[in-house]
Amino acid sequence: MKGIRLEFYKLRRRKIWVIILVLLVVQCLWGMWAFRNMDAKKLSQGYMQCLYHFSVLNTIMMPMIAAITASKVCDLEHKGQTFKFLLTVMPAGALFDAKFICASMYMVAVGVAQTAFIMVLGKVAGFTETFPPGYLLYYLIITITVTVVILAIQQAFSLLFTNQMVSFVIGITGSFAGLFSLFLPRNIQRGILWSYYGVLMPVRMNWDSQTRIADLQYIPVDWSSFWLLMGLFAMIYFTGRRCFARKER
Amino acid sequence: MLWKVIRGEQMKLRRSPVWLAFFILPVLPAFMGTFNYLQNIEILKDGWYSLWTQHTLFTCYFFLPATIAVYCSYLFRLEHTNHNWNCVMTLPVSALHLYLAKLIMASAMVIMTQLWVGVLFIISGKMSGLSGPVPPELTEWLVYGAIGGIVICGIQLCISLVVRSFAVPVGIAMAGGILGIGALSKGVGAFYPYTLLSLGMRANSPGGSMACSQVQFMAGSLFYLIISALVAILWLSNTDVTTE
Repeated sequence: MKGIRLEFYKLRRRKIWVIILVLLVVQCLWGMWAFRNMDAKKLSQGYMQCLYHFSVLNTIMMPMIAAITASKVCDLEHKGQTFKFLLTVMPAGALFDAKFICASMYMVAVGVAQTAFIMVLGKVAGFTETFPPGYLLYYLIITITVTVVILAIQQAFSLLFTNQMVSFVIGITGSFAGLFSLFLPRNIQRGILWSYYGVLMPVRMNWDSQTRIADLQYIPVDWSSFWLLMGLFAMIYFTGRRCFARKER
Repeated sequence: MLWKVIRGEQMKLRRSPVWLAFFILPVLPAFMGTFNYLQNIEILKDGWYSLWTQHTLFTCYFFLPATIAVYCSYLFRLEHTNHNWNCVMTLPVSALHLYLAKLIMASAMVIMTQLWVGVLFIISGKMSGLSGPVPPELTEWLVYGAIGGIVICGIQLCISLVVRSFAVPVGIAMAGGILGIGALSKGVGAFYPYTLLSLGMRANSPGGSMACSQVQFMAGSLFYLIISALVAILWLSNTDVTTE
């Protein structure tokens, strides 16, 4: 607990929330732009449209938000060369945990703000679809979960490499692979961590190539993919933590 | 003097694996874009032109601006850390040369990336069994794309000079790239720096002409390059350095 408080204390004047807020505003602007002229059919599937589009948008943007947050939280130690000092007062594993929990709080805030925006958009735009609290909660949980798993890998690289370029290249490449994999078969998607926004999204698009009409529908929770993601998280987190703890400084 | 500063920049980047990012990034759309093209070959009927869209669309809008931003952040990180600004500012080197050397280094990387994109495109097309010759416009797409990329380098170097954080300029580039889609849809792509790359590379309309005139494109590029150079020089000349 003390370690987490210390992390927030270190970040108090670093205005880490500013760039996160800017990216969140860009996401919301995109949402408003995408839903500006909705016909009766789109309004009747309003929340489904939102959940679908925001999941795709998350594939592009959330890995970068996670990379930026992880880099901001870890880079200050590289710049200040404070690892030797910190590790004399706390175990390396505890420092890794504290940084991860601190950065995760920002990810939770982004997920909550995004879901709140969808709810406000639904009211303002006048969606005629029945308000789906369960699916919105599910969307919130998967958005936060996937982002936090990506954050774990970003934090591991941001801590292990002084050169922050490495972690950003991994973030950009992962985000890119995640976006592309949305067009690929589901089995390939499940093998790419960054595509889980798409894999776990609660909505599916049915595209009729004959009539060229796209229709959306809710789908049941893909629990097998969710548990696979949890397994990946455990593997990434504990490997990253162990590598950080064993690293010579 | 400029040549000596460029040599200095080259020495700073020696043995640094920064070029790897620009090598890996185009491979991903080449591989996955080609796969997607082959999966949807009955819908994507324009051959080489359809393949080009698959290769470049997402790259130009989101990922190349962010990668350029990472590179520019790295170029200035060396100065922002270890009190190096104190050393740099006491050297008998003008602010213009300092900025230009970094711009030339970043531009060289963009040009090499464009060449790599072109090579991968031709290889992918041949391996996909595309009949017909390689589009004669390919050189034009790559050259204009390089110009658009150099403009982003100018802007990002300016941001990385002012903002000492490594991460924030990357976030700005990402936001800039995404907002660029709005600028393109409103027809003001030539007036917005982050869309010049996708405009130049004809990412969404490879078969037709550019969405703006060539004069507009060149004027927009020149404007942003001059503005970013001016801001950088004024900043370096008038602001006291902050070291970490």
